[in-house]
Amino acid sequence: MTRLVRPISCMALLVMVGASACVPQAPSVQGRAVNQLYGIFAVIASIIFVVTAALIALSMLRYRAKPSDDALPAQFEGNVKLELIWFAIPTVIVVVLFILTLQKLDVVTERAPDPESIIEVDAYQWGWSFTYRGEGVNISGGPHNDPELVVPIDRAVAFEISAEDVQHSFYLPRLLIKRDAIPGRTNRVDVEIDEPGRYIGKCAEFCGLLHAEMNFVVRAVPPLEYRAWLNERKQDDGNA
Amino acid sequence: MATLEHSVPRTAGGLLEWFTSVDHKKIGILYLSSALVFFVLSGILALVMRSELAQPGLQLVDRQTYAQLFTMHGTGMMFFFGTPMVIGLANYFVPLHIGAPDVAFPRLNAFAFWLTLAGAVMAFAGFLTATGAAAFGWTAYAPLSGDAYSPGTGADLWIIGVALSGVAGVLAAVNLLATIFGMRAPGMSMLRMSIFNWNIVVTSILIAFSFPALTVALALLWADRNLGSSFFEPAGGGDPVLYQHLFWFFGHPEVYILILPFFGIVTEIIPVFSRKPVFGYKGFVFATLLIGAYSFSVWAHHMFTTGAVDGPFFSATSMLIAVPTGIKFFNWIGTMWGGKIRFQTPMLFCAGFLFMFLMGGITGVFLASPPLDYFVHDTYYVVAHLHYVLFGGSVFAMFAGLYYWIPKMSGRMLSEGLGKLHFVLLLVGMNAAFFPMHQLGIDGMQRRIPDYPASFGYAQENLVSTAGAFLIALAVLVFFINLFVSLRRGPLAGDDPWGGYTLEWATTSPPPHHNFHRLPPIRSARPVFDERRENAQAGPEGGSP
Repeated sequence: MTRLVRPISCMALLVMVGASACVPQAPSVQGRAVNQLYGIFAVIASIIFVVTAALIALSMLRYRAKPSDDALPAQFEGNVKLELIWFAIPTVIVVVLFILTLQKLDVVTERAPDPESIIEVDAYQWGWSFTYRGEGVNISGGPHNDPELVVPIDRAVAFEISAEDVQHSFYLPRLLIKRDAIPGRTNRVDVEIDEPGRYIGKCAEFCGLLHAEMNFVVRAVPPLEYRAWLNERKQDDGNA
Repeated sequence: MATLEHSVPRTAGGLLEWFTSVDHKKIGILYLSSALVFFVLSGILALVMRSELAQPGLQLVDRQTYAQLFTMHGTGMMFFFGTPMVIGLANYFVPLHIGAPDVAFPRLNAFAFWLTLAGAVMAFAGFLTATGAAAFGWTAYAPLSGDAYSPGTGADLWIIGVALSGVAGVLAAVNLLATIFGMRAPGMSMLRMSIFNWNIVVTSILIAFSFPALTVALALLWADRNLGSSFFEPAGGGDPVLYQHLFWFFGHPEVYILILPFFGIVTEIIPVFSRKPVFGYKGFVFATLLIGAYSFSVWAHHMFTTGAVDGPFFSATSMLIAVPTGIKFFNWIGTMWGGKIRFQTPMLFCAGFLFMFLMGGITGVFLASPPLDYFVHDTYYVVAHLHYVLFGGSVFAMFAGLYYWIPKMSGRMLSEGLGKLHFVLLLVGMNAAFFPMHQLGIDGMQRRIPDYPASFGYAQENLVSTAGAFLIALAVLVFFINLFVSLRRGPLAGDDPWGGYTLEWATTSPPPHHNFHRLPPIRSARPVFDERRENAQAGPEGGSP
């Protein structure tokens, strides 16, 4: 048994690295919390997977029947002590994962007391309407005319998400967040991005014919640039 | 060998007999056949989807057709393949396992089957209407499934068809419970029943208590569409989230309805092929009961992103399910440990099941954590997870069960060579098809989209996945060739080709009309094993009297 510890732990390490590396680092406070949680889950999951799979493989290889051997193997029916141990181990693991989940859940659902902007997101078949509350700025658009909204970096921005017709889902893949847009309800998600860039947004809940085309763009810029953009938009919208 | 003349398969007494029979074995075979037909149909729908997704751009079908494809793929697999497959296997083997001549209510049994088939045909008949089949996903979320956004007969046919098969499921479950509680042979105490039967007990309870929630959801949805009510329409004071609660109160137990019986099958096959008793019989029973109980308290983990449910509560209950599932894994390992394992086809599929379901079970724990679910919900990550559970888990175990039990049902063995080919193709195909989907989901590919821009970088994984889907199709084709060839020309199975433990191996293959000419004494969970050992000790001849 002991000579198997090394290959199994090497394997676990390999799976672990693979499982964690496939998730891109999110450029936001909330996204990083998800990254960290996913990383811990991936490490524990890799160990469980490799150890369990190794035990399954080992029992199959070691105890396969030899062609000539027709005698009955020992007929043991269980071992309560062992069963209690493998009842206890997963319970402990699950409790740990649950506590970690609670901690990160607070981070990703926390509402900033004073967000830089509150953006009302209204999803419809098939497009998005973004209204900057108190600023008189609205950006909307649909397929082939993806709306592009601008948000500041290093500041919390609140999205208040609802829908006009059927259910949609506000999804920013690179920021690792998603919240449903449900007619008659409002969901709030706060995001604090810390790297300037253009982040693609999508609709994640199937909403009919053009569901796949319901994209939008979030452009994150430094706060000063954001203010300038907002003022410019205000004037544009006022003149229109 | 005195029973050899009985083991020659008899031809059916005319086609009419299949329509009128109330024999649980015939009805079981009807269930299995109809389930396999819908497995193939729904699989073909998946192949068209995978072909469309192989590269960016819309090549094969338009968006509306694609929506019909994924709706009917999910509907067909869940309602008209999965559940009937479970009920079919239970129909055939529950009475045999408990030493009963038939189920408790044979006519109700026949009625439930024909109702299921009627529902299935009705839902699929949507394809023949002018506006096509239902196109709102197998979950039919309101208000998208309402009359304003999904007009057309196909949607109403879907609602009625699924509701009928749901009612039929309840009838079948009640029948199975009555059979198991009321018709066990003398000596067959509850704790001597096969683990398969225990899983059917829990599955039937889940069906009996969860399907009514589906019936309610569908009835209200139908009223919204046709009577102008607004249970799920916010404009009229209704709530779309209410639909999701009703649907998932059914929908999550449904997942266990589709996996527990297959746990049962695996737990029958592994001991027989390891030539040992099951390790921790009571642990298995306990874990099964616990999974059944938990399964009613986890439904809202499908709804974390609605923001309308208590995340921590449903996260805790969902993660806890990993504990009884873990017990089962270690008990399966304990069963193989110290055995002398024969890797014939049924055991090979069990091996495949263990690895694939392990993968699906572990990604399930990720999805039970709300912060991670906010990230991957409604992406291909979930599609990957559910296919590792329901394809890698249930379908692998189903094939294990079919290779194990078809000799009992038909009297003829399936080919080992073709069986092994089937297994290898299916294992490679399944991993090629579904493993890359994890990465697609992490990279942000949503479910239920017919197309994606080339710039998103999804093309490579999608191409591999499509190739895997066609390998799966090839594997299934090999299975059907094996089935048709072996049913005609396979070697005779005899009463007990595997050295089985449970009572179905104490009668002929196929069993006579009332199942048993005589029963062995039942003093443990392995009556056939006990009798075989006593005969071997009594004299070198062995064999049945």
